[in-house]
Amino acid sequence: MHPEKREVKANRRRGYFLKVAIVLLLAAIGLGLRETRSAASPANALWNPDIRYLDPVALALSPDGSRLYVVCTGRDLVLAVNTRTRFVVGRVQVGRKPEGIAVSPDGKTLYVTNEWSDSVSEIDASSFHVRRTLKTGWNPVGVTTGREGKFLYTANTLGDDISVINLATGKEVKRLAGGHFPEYVALSRNGKWVYVSNLLARVAPPDDPPLSQLTVVSTAKQIVTNHIMVPGVIQLRHIAQVPARDGGYLLIPFQQPHNLVPLVQIQQGWYMSHGMAVIRQPRTDAQKARVMEVLLDNIDQAFADGFGAACAPDGRVALVTASGANVVSVIDIAKLNQLLKQVPASDPEALAHRLDSARQFVVRRLKTGRNPTAVVISPDSHFAYIANRTDDTVTVVDLKQLKVASTINLGGPREITVERRGEQLFFDARFCYQDQLACASCHPHVGFEDGLVWSLETPELGRDVVENRTLLDIAGTSPFDWPGINPDLETQDGPRTAELIFRSQGFSPTQVRDLVTYIRSLKLPPNPHLAPDGHLTHAQEMGRKLFFRTKTNNGTIIPLYDRCYYCHSPLTHYTSRVLMDVGTSTKYDTVKSWDVPQLQGAYMRAPYLHNGEAMTLEGIWTKYNPDDKHGITSDMTKIQLSDLIEFLKAL
Amino acid sequence: MKRLLRASFLLTAGLLVVASGIAVAQTPPLYTKWVNYTTANGMPKGEDYSLAVNGNQIWAGTENGLVLIENGRVRKVFTTADGLAGQAVLAVAVDKQTGEVWAGTFGGLSRFSGGQFRSYTNLNSGLANDLVYAVAIQGKYVWAATAGGFSRLNTYTGEWKIFNNQNSPFTEPWGYGIAVGSKKVYLALWGGGVEVYDIAQHYWRPYTDPDDSFEIVLYRNQGLISMMVSSIAYNPEAKMFWAGTYFGLSGYDGRNWHNYLTKDSGLASNFVNGVKTQGDIVWVSTQKGLCEFNYKTNTWVTYRPADWRALDTAKPDKAHRGEILITRPDGKKTRMETPTSLPHNYVLNVAFQGNTIWVATADGVSHGFRQPNKEEQHNESATNRR
Repeated sequence: MHPEKREVKANRRRGYFLKVAIVLLLAAIGLGLRETRSAASPANALWNPDIRYLDPVALALSPDGSRLYVVCTGRDLVLAVNTRTRFVVGRVQVGRKPEGIAVSPDGKTLYVTNEWSDSVSEIDASSFHVRRTLKTGWNPVGVTTGREGKFLYTANTLGDDISVINLATGKEVKRLAGGHFPEYVALSRNGKWVYVSNLLARVAPPDDPPLSQLTVVSTAKQIVTNHIMVPGVIQLRHIAQVPARDGGYLLIPFQQPHNLVPLVQIQQGWYMSHGMAVIRQPRTDAQKARVMEVLLDNIDQAFADGFGAACAPDGRVALVTASGANVVSVIDIAKLNQLLKQVPASDPEALAHRLDSARQFVVRRLKTGRNPTAVVISPDSHFAYIANRTDDTVTVVDLKQLKVASTINLGGPREITVERRGEQLFFDARFCYQDQLACASCHPHVGFEDGLVWSLETPELGRDVVENRTLLDIAGTSPFDWPGINPDLETQDGPRTAELIFRSQGFSPTQVRDLVTYIRSLKLPPNPHLAPDGHLTHAQEMGRKLFFRTKTNNGTIIPLYDRCYYCHSPLTHYTSRVLMDVGTSTKYDTVKSWDVPQLQGAYMRAPYLHNGEAMTLEGIWTKYNPDDKHGITSDMTKIQLSDLIEFLKAL
Repeated sequence: MKRLLRASFLLTAGLLVVASGIAVAQTPPLYTKWVNYTTANGMPKGEDYSLAVNGNQIWAGTENGLVLIENGRVRKVFTTADGLAGQAVLAVAVDKQTGEVWAGTFGGLSRFSGGQFRSYTNLNSGLANDLVYAVAIQGKYVWAATAGGFSRLNTYTGEWKIFNNQNSPFTEPWGYGIAVGSKKVYLALWGGGVEVYDIAQHYWRPYTDPDDSFEIVLYRNQGLISMMVSSIAYNPEAKMFWAGTYFGLSGYDGRNWHNYLTKDSGLASNFVNGVKTQGDIVWVSTQKGLCEFNYKTNTWVTYRPADWRALDTAKPDKAHRGEILITRPDGKKTRMETPTSLPHNYVLNVAFQGNTIWVATADGVSHGFRQPNKEEQHNESATNRR
């Protein structure tokens, strides 16, 4: 072949290959773009349960303010952030589901509670490695040291108690009664007291208004000296103390539910309001604490789910995060003091329901990241740091200018999964009329229940009052709702929630899908009543036999439908997934048959029965089963009933 | 001769001094001053059943509430209106670790923490019965003696365990008293003798009356004096338990029984309401006074109002002179009087606060103070009543 022709042919071939390559490249780019778009597109969202987000939930600063420690519950680790550069400079793995953090008075040691490991990780603050692991009570959340750093106090949420740990020996020396779901802990500014706030109200008769409590522990005697009652509210969260010269009182965010009023009108806080308890501790044991309540909501807008609280050391401002509104409220302490002076001693609840109060002392509402939780303030009162749980960031607020200074990206996964989007929706109150509540508002502790009965909008108002139900491990337990009218979670969380709860358009179909995916992923904590290897104690084994018994004590055959396992089948999460009349309806109910609840995690779900009448598991059978319609139990001895309950607690 | 006489006189005098010294040493320092808390200074009406001391706080379980006495005055009477499970408080115990007060009532068991009560009943918990006669703390466990057996609450886990005649070798379920050791629990059963439970081994050891439930004692020092055991105490130093019964007092040292009746000891009455130990001393609360018994020296001292045989029950707050009756090992009795007295001879329980003693009686609570070396000043009125 002529060399020229060969050259032309070669050039043509090159051009052909080049064109093919360009086409392939463009195709690849196109495909890539399409995949990238898919990841962000609601219609084709990424589903990847292996992706674990950081979920920052607790913060602490080193004594000099140079380090910010961030507890990331989603990935079981603690990060160290340089507060000058605002970069993550260290990370350390801890136990399962860390929730709280404390820094030793000398700043050399960190203590991180591991809620699902029943332990505290003791971390060397300079080398950032775990020195030792200390055992606590069940599911520790909040933690603090005493002023001398000799003892550690943890609030054990599932144990309803407080562990006191001797840091010299690393051993728990005593466990104190801590109210219902104690979660947040603070050391008083004078070091004399440890305060523990309780997430849930006391378990009480269903028609009693909620009564929450703050437990006060003397650091000198290490005993509980007071349970200060906060009426009408639940979900007491982080505890901030105003400096003594500015009043010395405590500020604790709360939720004020109006659960006993039929939920027919939502505006102006008729479902729930959000505010903070103002508590002045008495100087002596003989005096009573002064408890006042002020709301942080405006008359036409709520700031749902108060969570973090901190007071600047200079006493100028306090911050309270609204985890459902993605907002932090900046409170002018001087203005708050002016307002508090107007509260008469004879009527400490004078401001408890006033939606026109907040504008008198809230001087700024600053936008945070998604689901702001804990907040801390630097020792020089210049900056505040806010952990944003569902976007893995920390918002930095300049307190001199009262504006957001920056946002620290903690380095969580960049991909947003369906579950993650559902999680963000779960905590977001902006889908509700006037932003009044989120799913998390009634399901605190990430999908649990609030322990209240609610008078929902029913055909006959005020009747069929029902106890709130957990969202933990509910996949495969349909139908939902006590009357069983929701065949699936999509119905319950979509149109039902929009119509009866949020009083808004609610979530879009895609959002409902995301939310349901997230709710299905929620898991119960490890059961502390069950041995790690799953073996049953003698009492639990005896109880198991009673649960599956077919004959009464005198040998009479128990009809199939009167046996425990008939309605609470172990094959389907200990529920038969049908409606049953077990004789628990009262004259206030129009419904006779109720959805059979699943039994897993029953130990933590007081009160019991559809209307919350039974305050303990024992009460279900000792008081509310007079005709043996809720299983044949009247022949059981007290010992047998106790054994049965021990088995149920192990599920 | 004179020198010999003088020497023998000095020797005799010396022997007398030594002998009297021994006699004095055998008499314990006596409680001669009693400060009473009755309806006159704030106590509720009715019997006082039980006592517990926590520092400077005295908790008294009474027929009409739980009473807190502090700094010499009745500070508060807690009733069912405050959340107490029942009005009649038969037992009270303080958890020294947590400072919590546990009250056994005729309406259930109450836990007092930080100014608030939480009550456990037969209906809402694993409490065997709502009639609670005794409460004891053993680390994280709280024991309750009830009319339906014994219940044990694990305060860390919330688990209840019941011990009665259905799952334990009891002849009767009716629990009246509890004493705890480090590894064992000593249970007093009304009509069922004493049961000792080895916690680690889950092993029961029953102690019964060898002549069964006869009121007379056929076999002295061969077993428990009666099956009607009202109270029990454990002495960890001597590894010995003492059982108060309605027919005398029994002690068991792990090998031998030591039984005491009014007819041949200083025990004021065979009807024993309560028993407590304090070193070598056994305090026996009876219907005829409070007995302080040193079992090593076999010396008894009984405290009661001097006019106890004819107490004017219509005037419960009337001041009495006190009677002290000392019974020595040889049976010799010495009686003396004191200007102050227990408010009543019907004694139900005691508790200790340093060197002082608190006594629960049918008509008030009394705080007793020892006044050593004061025996002589009372000897003027002493009479030998052998």
